[in-house]
Amino acid sequence: MIGEAAGREGRVVVALGRRALSVQFRRAQLLMPTFVLPLMLLAVIASGTSVAQDLRGFPDVASYLAFIVPGTVIQGALLAGLTSGTALAADVEFGFFDRLLAAPVRRTSLVLGRQAGTLGLSLLQSIFFLAVAFAFGARYPGGVVAVLATIVLAAITAVGIGGIAGAIALRTGSLSLLQSIFPFVFVLLFTAPAFFPRELLAPALRDAAVYNPLTYVVEAVRGLLAGDATLGDPWAGLAAAVLLAVATTVLATFALSERLRTL
Amino acid sequence: MSDFDSRVPAVEVRGLVRDFKGGIRAVDGLDLEVAPGEIYGFLGPNGAGKTTSVRILTTLLRPTEGVARVAGHDVVHEADAVRRSIGVALQEAAIDPLMTGRELLRMQGALHGLRGPAAKDRANELLERVGLTQAADRRVGGYSGGMRRRLDLALALVHRPQVLFLDEPTTGLDPTSRGALWREVRTLNDEGTTVFLTTQYLEEAEQLADRVGIIAAGRLVAEGTPDALKARVGEPTLHVELAEPDSAERARAALAGLGSLEPANAAAPARVVLRTAAGKGAIAPAIRALDEHGVMVESIEVETPTLDDVFAAVTGSHLEGAEARGAEPEAAGAPG
Amino acid sequence: MSAPAAPSALHVALVLWRRSLNEVLRVRGALLPATVAPVVFLLGMTGQFGRLTGLEGFPTDSYMSWIVPLSCLQGAGFAGAATGSNLARDIEQGWFDRLLVAPVARPVLLVGPILGGVSRSLVPATVVLLVGLALGAELPGGILGLIALYVACAGFCTVAALWGVFMALMFRTQQAGPLMQQGVFLAVFLSTAYTPEVLLRGWLASVAHLNPVTYVLELARQATVSGIQPSFAHTWPGLVALVGMFVVLGALALLGLRRMGR
Repeated sequence: MIGEAAGREGRVVVALGRRALSVQFRRAQLLMPTFVLPLMLLAVIASGTSVAQDLRGFPDVASYLAFIVPGTVIQGALLAGLTSGTALAADVEFGFFDRLLAAPVRRTSLVLGRQAGTLGLSLLQSIFFLAVAFAFGARYPGGVVAVLATIVLAAITAVGIGGIAGAIALRTGSLSLLQSIFPFVFVLLFTAPAFFPRELLAPALRDAAVYNPLTYVVEAVRGLLAGDATLGDPWAGLAAAVLLAVATTVLATFALSERLRTL
Repeated sequence: MSDFDSRVPAVEVRGLVRDFKGGIRAVDGLDLEVAPGEIYGFLGPNGAGKTTSVRILTTLLRPTEGVARVAGHDVVHEADAVRRSIGVALQEAAIDPLMTGRELLRMQGALHGLRGPAAKDRANELLERVGLTQAADRRVGGYSGGMRRRLDLALALVHRPQVLFLDEPTTGLDPTSRGALWREVRTLNDEGTTVFLTTQYLEEAEQLADRVGIIAAGRLVAEGTPDALKARVGEPTLHVELAEPDSAERARAALAGLGSLEPANAAAPARVVLRTAAGKGAIAPAIRALDEHGVMVESIEVETPTLDDVFAAVTGSHLEGAEARGAEPEAAGAPG
Repeated sequence: MSAPAAPSALHVALVLWRRSLNEVLRVRGALLPATVAPVVFLLGMTGQFGRLTGLEGFPTDSYMSWIVPLSCLQGAGFAGAATGSNLARDIEQGWFDRLLVAPVARPVLLVGPILGGVSRSLVPATVVLLVGLALGAELPGGILGLIALYVACAGFCTVAALWGVFMALMFRTQQAGPLMQQGVFLAVFLSTAYTPEVLLRGWLASVAHLNPVTYVLELARQATVSGIQPSFAHTWPGLVALVGMFVVLGALALLGLRRMGR
């Protein structure tokens, strides 16, 4: 009996996730920010600042590109989460969400369905970024396991960001508000050692980075890909990502119940 | 009104063709001529090529083949002269929502060389003419659909054009606004402006146009005055409902001289149908004749062919948005 | 009653300029995103890469001073791109048709909106400058340097606007917006954005050398970078680059105008 119900809800979650993903791909221009922008920034930073390796205090790395790529992967996760939140806001603002609410679907499945879409998007992004960087000379001494672990970490992070964005979307139902949050993606990114080692960041950022969960995820990915745990502890990263994802999914579910109550 | 030569057609089109990417031929050999001072109605369903033709005539689109001249100037080689002579109110009444009505009129003036006090006066004059003086200093974003169309018309008139192009001017308007716009168009025409109007509404073409050109699939399929076009399809008919079925013989005798009688229908013994070119004009004589023969009448109705009937006769299909087949009856009350 | 006189190109340009300013004067908070983004990048990049000034070859010790002109140009460039998206919107919604049927030479129709973009670009450029100065950026170039900075910004905004206009005329839809922005982004950052030319490695070294915006950056950096003193030597390459880009993109924009209606 329980197994049947769980199976049904599981199919619903998958269906919603698939829809969320297909909306992304329906219009090529939606792909630009989430797939192309992070790569452009990667190209620009990796080539423009590669001389940083000469700095005293910069860790020894085989491939500067591989050092920078974790920042790109996390940027991708941020964008995936924000995009999902924006799509949800659009659904809420234009009434599609109300139609979903009227269907015999469990409320938590709605949230999880959205998160499933975010997950799918993030998976595709991470693979894409890592592959392109590899094609341009990045090397991952950590091996296939590291790459897989990176993809998983990024996906969990994306879900975490999607949770916050989704919560905002559900509370405000405003598409334009979510679109204007876009620059803050970069605030979160820059207050983590996304493109530079933590020790070499400006003091203010270094202090702020301690409180940013993304710091631990970026460093974890960096350590994993380089096969060098001194660059970052994978378990700290996993803990940070999971905590973020759980906390924000709870937040989003609360926001959903609030919305239902006030309907 | 700028001086114009009344021998030069206001609009002249020969062999106009317009192709689009993908092999779409929106205009397929169009020939027409509009005399100065006319109201010409371009009638056809959606997708027939009306808007494309208007865009060519207003220099927004270049023809693939053929020649078009407006106010005596070629639309391709003398585009600037054409633009000076025409006023345009397009279907997508694109108005900047952040500007006020007055600001838009002044801007339009600037685009046509009107500046300073002359522009100000002209704006006031037009605002009053279309009844927007009250709303003049409010942002257009807050105007209703009818108000926007009126402003659009005012904008088209800023420079007193010789030829006015109206693309579906009353689509989406309520009947009151529609009537007001028709009155305004007639007034403009009385003042000497040639009006080239596209529409998908039969009533609009019948009411406003001196001549109607019916377009389908990019070609002109029929042209003429509304009455002449309808006469091609058939004559109006008078439907008389008798108070007593027995009086049918006398009724038929009474009406025989006024037109040609349709054969009696056994299923409707109290009904007599007379086919007559006079149409409405035959009502009074018919009533007199029936009265003289002592026939009591329940009701009299006139049925006239519509432009939709014309369209159907020529193309085999109906216009979109046309009223149901059969014109609205113009009933006259039964006499005493 | 004879027809009115031919419209004055200058008057039309002024009227359309005034109209384009409505975007920011009559819409609340319209300039906020355009101003916040370059400031975020200013702070983020300085915070992340600030230590690079420790390397030999950097003409200044203050990375903030190095980055301020970059962020100013970024802001100005995006303001120019926005001119393009506004035009794309106007074309898509039919407003541009209203201008096209007027007896005005078509290139004149672009002058007003481009001036509007340049006017708008003054805000993010100035805000970035003020934030940078508040956080320790230097102003060794004095008045001359500031003039160079604003000339670079205005010029780059115009060039970016022409690019945006060209995209708008080619695609005639607002969906071309991201293309306009990405073009500006690449132009600004594939240059001596992060490090001076001597410290560039690999393919970027050649690209930056060939990128005209590199010289515009140098022109702008005369304001805040102590190692780049205001002088003709640092100025003329930037001006030539601006004029060159203006000519090329202007020609493309005019070509786009000719295509309208064909």
